[in-house]
Amino acid sequence: MDLTFTPAEEEFRSELRSWLSANIPDEWRRPGFWESLPDDESFRLRRDWERDKALAGFAGIQWPTEFGGRGGTPGMKAIYDVEMVLADAPRTVNPLGLTFLAPTVMAIGTDAQRKEIIGPMLRNEVIWCQGFSEPGAGSDLAALSTRGVRDGDDFVVNGQKVWTTNAVHGDKIFTLVRTEPGSQKHRGISMLLIDMHQAGVDARPLKQMSGASEFGEVFFDDARVPATDVLGEIGEGWRTAMLLLSFERGASGISQYTEFRRQYDEIAAVAKKLGRDTDPVIRNKLARVLTELECLRLHSMHVLTQTERGRDLGFEASMTKLQWSETFQDLWEVYDDVLGEDDTLEQLGDLDLRPLNAQAMWSRSVTIWGGSSQVQRNVTAERVLGLPR
Amino acid sequence: MFFALTEDQQEFGAAVTTYLAERFDTDAVRGVFEDADGDGNPGSLWKAAAEQGWLAVTVPEEHDGLGLGLVEAQVIARALGAGVAPGPWRGTVLAAEAIRLGGSDEQKAAWLPRLASGEAIGAVGLRGAAPGVVPAVEYGVIADVVVVRTAQGLGLATGARATPVGSYDRTTRLASLDVSDVEALPGDASSLQARATVLVAADLVGIAREAVSRTVAYDREREQFGVPVGSFQALKHALADIHVGVTMAEHAALYAAHAVDVGLDDAELAVAVAKAKASEVALQATAAMIQYHGGIGYTWEHEAHFFYKRAKRLAGLYGGVDQHREKIAALTL
Repeated sequence: MDLTFTPAEEEFRSELRSWLSANIPDEWRRPGFWESLPDDESFRLRRDWERDKALAGFAGIQWPTEFGGRGGTPGMKAIYDVEMVLADAPRTVNPLGLTFLAPTVMAIGTDAQRKEIIGPMLRNEVIWCQGFSEPGAGSDLAALSTRGVRDGDDFVVNGQKVWTTNAVHGDKIFTLVRTEPGSQKHRGISMLLIDMHQAGVDARPLKQMSGASEFGEVFFDDARVPATDVLGEIGEGWRTAMLLLSFERGASGISQYTEFRRQYDEIAAVAKKLGRDTDPVIRNKLARVLTELECLRLHSMHVLTQTERGRDLGFEASMTKLQWSETFQDLWEVYDDVLGEDDTLEQLGDLDLRPLNAQAMWSRSVTIWGGSSQVQRNVTAERVLGLPR
Repeated sequence: MFFALTEDQQEFGAAVTTYLAERFDTDAVRGVFEDADGDGNPGSLWKAAAEQGWLAVTVPEEHDGLGLGLVEAQVIARALGAGVAPGPWRGTVLAAEAIRLGGSDEQKAAWLPRLASGEAIGAVGLRGAAPGVVPAVEYGVIADVVVVRTAQGLGLATGARATPVGSYDRTTRLASLDVSDVEALPGDASSLQARATVLVAADLVGIAREAVSRTVAYDREREQFGVPVGSFQALKHALADIHVGVTMAEHAALYAAHAVDVGLDDAELAVAVAKAKASEVALQATAAMIQYHGGIGYTWEHEAHFFYKRAKRLAGLYGGVDQHREKIAALTL
């Protein structure tokens, strides 16, 4: 057993820490700061800050240096994930691009795509959206009906995507489109890289129950995309999508653990302030969540151990998602219990509860997006336990 | 970062599992279960425990042991739990641990080689205070030496008067001990209790994992409405959740063993987390084992009740889910 990081990894941690501490204004750490800004302003600040971070060498931690990455180890990526949370660093504005698209382009993109996509993404010159879900294709993604018809050197695309993160800020969108007329299910789909700055693309914000608008809808009305802007083979978009989603499997949950453990302490502080920390039921519920959080931490060490040894964890990723998302939701349900009959208030004495309430609302979404808990349980039962389909 | 078992540690566990599968399967367990008058320690299994080093695992090499740690011991505990194996393995290992940690040179020389070789049987009774009555000691009738709690700390009791105590978990045997002679054993009870708690958590994890495996195997074959019952989502989702829980408990038991072994700062929290989680999932998994076998799972002839009853007893031993949660709350609030 060795739960330490290498000297090189620890060196990376201190470099990153110094940079973060010198480059995050104190004001940004104030609770509610980001929520107090207009959406466009908040996005612009984060976009610029993240670009500077990339230019300082703290992006693409595990990517090969030939693609502008740092060429670091899985341990460095884990350290990065933890330190970003501990420093209250702004959330990335390019999550779908960085997590999913970039590694897919490195794996199967053409040389031209590698050159055109990866560098500009790292510098936030291009914000990428993901166009997968549709109104009629959620968990059953293969039911998608957005269609692309060949017209000369282009595809002409019509249809609608939904739950699109950063839709209104997006520059380009990697989109699953049915390019073979009349094709069914997983066949006849292509992954097209569509420019969102054109008349045929309309992105609209979707206001969520939290009041925020991280997601949006994207409408394609005779949008045009050159037939060369396909990632992977034409008609093989499902295969490309499965490869793309597999890059989530390296995610260990350590970033979620670090964030949620801090939230646990915040909720514990509220409980103390309200004198609820001596209630045996509250104590029991908080301890149950803490138990699950500790398990998540240990699970992330397990994932990191396996990743460092080059093992693909495969469908174990479903377990990681279930553990962090269900625990996060449980944590914020205990927050309701702590507040008791005051659980919907925005202010309680001198406590501003709005930032906490926002997290409590957000917790309802995490068991839906990225593969709902029900889908993850199916995957775990069928692919890991081997129960019949 | 290496949070996993080494190949040697995996092989150690696999050897126990293989031995039990080939030489002491659940039919053999049934023999012990139904032999109400027996001492609960089948000779062949005890001999294997001695010969294969299961008893000597944490005893230092200078006292004829293997000189390994609690991580290796929890590997064995997990395999024994999965096999619902009877016998005073845990008590013997823990008695040796108490003597190794606090014993005088004379006490070590007197007991460690004999405990490591299986010549002497050890037991632990941390409830009550000796001299006096110590309740529900595992294998108290056949133990040669019992580590007990005293007003000063710990003590070694020999020659206690033992009265068998019935338990519906007949994968083990319990006795109430009337202890009069106690020899002081230096060292504190809490470090022994931490080790005992980890080994019980590991046993529970083994029970839970085996309960899931056996249930999945059965539900893949068992047909109703013309299809395997394991194809129904009601079962799939429940079993998936339990599988995730058992996996987390495996992590927690492994980490707690390591934390205690090397004295990590969060060892106390780690032990409470491991026991709370392992108890919870073992109760869930063994209840699910009965439910998802249907009627046959409720019968005496099926082995599900061995797992369920052992889980019930161990889930409460050294503190149940709620006691450990209170400990966790005290440490983190």
